[in-house]
Amino acid sequence: MTKITNIAIADQVDESTHPHSFMSKYIWSQDHKVIAIQYSITAIAVGLVALVLSGMMRLQLGFPNEFSFIDPSTYLQFVTMHGMIMVIYLLTALLLGGFGNYLIPLMVGARDMVFPYLNMLSYWTYLLAVIVLLSSFFVSGGPTGAGWTLYPPQAILSGTPGEHAGILLMLASLAIFIVAFTMGGLNYVTTILQARTKGMTLMRMPLTLWGIFVATILGLLAFPALLVSAIMMIFDKVLGTSFFMPAILSLGETLDHSGGSPILFQHLFWFFGHPEVYIVALPAFGMVSDVIAIHARKNIFGYRMMVWAIVAIGGLSFVVWAHHMYVSGMNPYFGFFFATTTLIIAIPTALKVYNWLLTLWRGNIHLTVPMLFAIGFIFTFTHGGLTGLMLGNVVIDLPLSDTYFVVAHFHMVMGVSPVMVLFAAIYHWFPLLTGRFLNTGLGKFHFWGTFLGTYAIYLPMHYLGFLGVPRRYYAMGPTEFIPESAQTLNASITVSAILVGLMQLVFIINVIWSTFKGKKSGRNPWQATSLEWQTATFPPGHGNWGKQLPQVYRWAYDYSVPKVKDDFIPQNISPDNVQYVTVEPNNDGRAK
Amino acid sequence: MSLFKTLRVKPWLPEEIVEPATSNDVLLTQEQIATTALHFLLAVITVIFFLFTITFLQRTQSFDFQALSGEPWLPFTNSGVLWQNTAYLFLASISIICAKKFAQQARLYALVITLSATSLFTLLFIIGQVQVWQQLSQAGFYIYSNPANSYYFLLTGVHALHIVGGVLALLSCIVVFAKGYAYPQLSYRLRLCGLYWHYLLGIWLLLFLLLTSDAETFKTIALICGF
Repeated sequence: MTKITNIAIADQVDESTHPHSFMSKYIWSQDHKVIAIQYSITAIAVGLVALVLSGMMRLQLGFPNEFSFIDPSTYLQFVTMHGMIMVIYLLTALLLGGFGNYLIPLMVGARDMVFPYLNMLSYWTYLLAVIVLLSSFFVSGGPTGAGWTLYPPQAILSGTPGEHAGILLMLASLAIFIVAFTMGGLNYVTTILQARTKGMTLMRMPLTLWGIFVATILGLLAFPALLVSAIMMIFDKVLGTSFFMPAILSLGETLDHSGGSPILFQHLFWFFGHPEVYIVALPAFGMVSDVIAIHARKNIFGYRMMVWAIVAIGGLSFVVWAHHMYVSGMNPYFGFFFATTTLIIAIPTALKVYNWLLTLWRGNIHLTVPMLFAIGFIFTFTHGGLTGLMLGNVVIDLPLSDTYFVVAHFHMVMGVSPVMVLFAAIYHWFPLLTGRFLNTGLGKFHFWGTFLGTYAIYLPMHYLGFLGVPRRYYAMGPTEFIPESAQTLNASITVSAILVGLMQLVFIINVIWSTFKGKKSGRNPWQATSLEWQTATFPPGHGNWGKQLPQVYRWAYDYSVPKVKDDFIPQNISPDNVQYVTVEPNNDGRAK
Repeated sequence: MSLFKTLRVKPWLPEEIVEPATSNDVLLTQEQIATTALHFLLAVITVIFFLFTITFLQRTQSFDFQALSGEPWLPFTNSGVLWQNTAYLFLASISIICAKKFAQQARLYALVITLSATSLFTLLFIIGQVQVWQQLSQAGFYIYSNPANSYYFLLTGVHALHIVGGVLALLSCIVVFAKGYAYPQLSYRLRLCGLYWHYLLGIWLLLFLLLTSDAETFKTIALICGF
């Protein structure tokens, strides 16, 4: 049979595929790097919308009833849209659609994704999902205010904001997003499995790729649960079925539904929802590992264990979902099972934290901006992870579940931590995109403002949770068991949140300014070993490599190798081309 | 086992560095790449139907569930129409195997006939399914009147959508071939389409079995599953 070589792994670049017009180069582009930037810009733009929403929520919580444009309904709509946008449309899209797209072909030594056209479709479908979601702001009744978990029956009943078009647009947007993710995800896993260049074995891949690879598999297997629940809820809402809707009396009126199970929706939602935590976390784990190793000039400690931990976390993430449902009630044995699996998943996670610390231990640490964010991540993730251990236990979760303690926990572990890694990654890989550094002074200002600011937000929030301050409430009102000082704390949190929000403007200004005026970085400015920095042209052009695909001879962590001239050996340097330090003999004939 | 072997490799050891790894053949064909992607796609679709099925089996034990088979007045006690639709899908599956074979042998006329047969039988299957929906509605088995009806419409609808997706893929193969590509390219694409068709036939057989079971069968299944 005739062998047909895929463009991604063709040794000789097919110049006829180079885009020439503006449209084919930047709009309908099939180049993974352009698609990655399209994904990133869209995700960051929609993320800024979610950031503004969170600011408005905080204004209401910090200074209740001071702002006439925020009423209980709009508050719930802000909560819902903020949560859903941040988790799905920003973090998932930016980490996998953005960084996954940019780094996978470059790091495996391919020219592009194996299905470039499908890759392009993936982005445009994602954009459609975002447009459908945001359009709910402009329909009658506004977006849904059902909370980001969209629990039925309340999500589709009268009295919930956005009960008509809002909830339907949300569900439709999620379904479209899942189609987009599936198209992208099939590309990512197939490219990693089938388009690695010669010598790039799985165990020679940088941990960034391992994180993206396992997270994509999780996404492919977990998002269907959200799709299934979205379809069934659309049926309940539009066609009058009773998949999730029990017999119910709503506003004095008996509805036609009967026999459906709201708990069933919760199981489906969290069967997706918990792996989603790791769909976000695993790429972040991988990227932070690489940033730490490169900026500490040291090989990653326990590479194999890091890979095993990523795989183990991926597997275990499918058997812990019901720890989000302790308050919904369940068989005590189930509670015991899910508490146990939740605690077990902490083992590989803690192992990774130890390995990051041991990589830093006696490393040649360069406190660059990416490194600052990476170290900041270790702090925030450890704090968020430890409160996760607490909440994994049924008896601790029950009293704390509906309080600000949980809000603080998941923002530390799933909000701040991945965002710290995203910033580390953007500061680290920005020269690869543009050939310029981001401004270091602004970067350090951005880091300290964000790092300290987020602690000023979330540490007091844990305390509010212990006091029993309930989450999801528009206003606490007079509550006897909560001291008045809690409101003062709430106001301080709001001020911190607004400052942290403003701090992100510094980052955006830095990105825009540095893209055009930033200091030129030159090739491989961080002296990294992985393939993305070894391209024929810098920044990499269409097709990534010159006439020949690179050949890989080693893993991605040959830093500070004894007796080698430079403190790094790129993956594509053959053993014959490694330059060693010349050893001059002493007068007595022994080496110095 | 190869996965465990892979994960045990120590990439930092000198012997690993001296010899460049050659585990990967850079001349992988498009077929291998497409096959890998299709396997992952089938895994995704499997999860979708698995989750639907689990929720269905759980719901069969609720007080308001009325199976669509078992009593003389129920629509699928005599499921002749569904058998007929099954036969269409089966024939589509067979004809696509033949089409792949004829593509390998570069027999154009036989290829055109078998591909037409695949399209025709698939179309007949979808038309047959739509007719069953109409018959159910005319007999008063509306989508909202009973969870068994709801699941019937939902599951067969999702299955039909996947069939339509397959038809689009098949059409793209034909278009690519018509544009002047060679038989081997069509052959491997038809092999993948065939795999997809067989898979959807298998899913349909499972759905057929489930959706036309009577209350006693559901009770037994639920007992085994622990619902």
